[in-house]
Amino acid sequence: MSNPADANGGARSAAVTSLALERIVRSPATLVENLSIGIYTCDRDGLIVQFNRRAAELWGRAPALSDPHIRYCGAFKTIDRDCRAAAPAESVMAQVLASGEPVRDRELILEREDGTRITILANVDPLFDEQGRLVGGVNCFQDISEVVRMRDQMREGRRVVRHVMEALPAAIYTTDADGKLQYFNTAAENLWGFTPKIGEQFWCGSWKILLPDGTLLPHDRCPMAVALKEKRALVGPEAVAERPDGTRVPFMPYPTPLFGSDGELIGGVNMLIDLTEQKRADAQQRGLIDELNHRVKNTLATIQSLAAQTLRGGDGEFEGRLLALSRVHDQLTRNAWEWADLAAIARDTVLPGVANGRVRIEGPSVRLTPRIALAMGMVLHELASNASRHGALSTPAGSVALAWRVDGQILHVDWREEGGPAVAPPTRRGFGTRLVERSVANELGGHPSIAFSAAGVHCTMEIPLPE
Amino acid sequence: MTDSGTRFLDRLSVLVVEDEAIISFLIEDMLGELGASDVRHAGTLAAAMAQLDARLPDIAVLDVNLGGERVYPVAERLEAAGIRFVFTTGYGKSGMDARWAARVVVQKPFNIETMSAALRDVLEVLPSP
Repeated sequence: MSNPADANGGARSAAVTSLALERIVRSPATLVENLSIGIYTCDRDGLIVQFNRRAAELWGRAPALSDPHIRYCGAFKTIDRDCRAAAPAESVMAQVLASGEPVRDRELILEREDGTRITILANVDPLFDEQGRLVGGVNCFQDISEVVRMRDQMREGRRVVRHVMEALPAAIYTTDADGKLQYFNTAAENLWGFTPKIGEQFWCGSWKILLPDGTLLPHDRCPMAVALKEKRALVGPEAVAERPDGTRVPFMPYPTPLFGSDGELIGGVNMLIDLTEQKRADAQQRGLIDELNHRVKNTLATIQSLAAQTLRGGDGEFEGRLLALSRVHDQLTRNAWEWADLAAIARDTVLPGVANGRVRIEGPSVRLTPRIALAMGMVLHELASNASRHGALSTPAGSVALAWRVDGQILHVDWREEGGPAVAPPTRRGFGTRLVERSVANELGGHPSIAFSAAGVHCTMEIPLPE
Repeated sequence: MTDSGTRFLDRLSVLVVEDEAIISFLIEDMLGELGASDVRHAGTLAAAMAQLDARLPDIAVLDVNLGGERVYPVAERLEAAGIRFVFTTGYGKSGMDARWAARVVVQKPFNIETMSAALRDVLEVLPSP
């Protein structure tokens, strides 16, 4: 610009340009014709009196001016947001001509004759003469199809994300960069056991957060708070959500900070995995293993005791006792170690080894717990074994009647030997007597009674059954 | 097995809390071999507490699981009275409440040597030579 020759040359070309521009500016019709915005004008009756090139492009046709069949709008068809074809009288131009008030930024869909559609943004202004009388209206409209398509896509994207988050069985919530709660799904609400207020609660929507040892973890020190403050994703540590009703849910958090395209922290998303079921399964498995171990070790101790008792007594009955124990185990195993039927136990432990038909067994099915089943099996075996060695079953004429019934929560068992040799109370209390008394009285909390009479042994037992 | 070193429970009264009758015979017989002449038995928690109400023993053998009930209230009573005891259990130490896990626990099944060593341990009796 310091060179005067250049300056003159510049001034000359600017003058040429301004002359051409001035021609255009001085002729508003030319200016309007060349605008990239669609413009048309209607008279008071809605007849189109003027439109520019862009308007015709957007309409997809160039209607005849003042055609009485084309009022308010030159488009082939106008469709509102509900995809309803709008009658010409409902058009924005008709509204403006009726009210005399402008309409701003109205979104409309235009359909062309070939069926293609575009979305436009319409701005309609009334036109007045010098006396202020309404003489017509002018509509400036532009194609916003691409903007609307992107906007709809974004909305749809957000909607899909919401739907996915809502459909996930995992508890999910988001916060802004300050940790303020922005969104949570139904699973999160269920886990928390209450509905936190969006935009009021910070870091986590839980009512109360505890560490696994039960100490309180303030919300601003929860894993999500740590993840947002330290701007890094975390896995865990495990925590416990306490609900307003006091119930507790152990969970594993997976807080992840979210960053914008410029790398700035814009918020965070956290997923909480409910560990209740896993903990329950773990505990159940541990419990099962403990229980199995307990039963096996107690069984081994029982066998050890049986061996010791048998060797001391010298009656060589170890095998019979062991088999009786094993048969009750079989009955229990059949029912997942939950119960065994007294009728089955009686048949399995009493009948083997004694002459067929000499023991009458009479009683209903009664489900016994493992403890009672094992004790009853051993007791019945001992009674039967004694009867075969010393009692009614030691002579061909003798017989035994075994009967039981349940009266309320009490199991009554009656063992009566008949037709055998006269029995006297043993001088030394043998294993059988000791077992019946201790099993029924001390182990099962019941009442045993053993009578040794001339007719034979008569043993009755009353055993309380658990509820 | 009658020397004083082996029969170190001589003249001591022992309470055996064990819910399984057959196992209680084993323990009683072992205690008898170790010299105990006064052995009483309880098969339930309630029975054990009643025994303690009636008379306190000199030492006790406590099965941890009494048909689903834990024997710990008995242990607490004994401890408060300054009476020594050993636990027996099929679970092992891992199945014990933390409070009692450090105590002398005899794992089932056990032989007389193990039981004897455990009782000597709590009674602070020197092992027999």
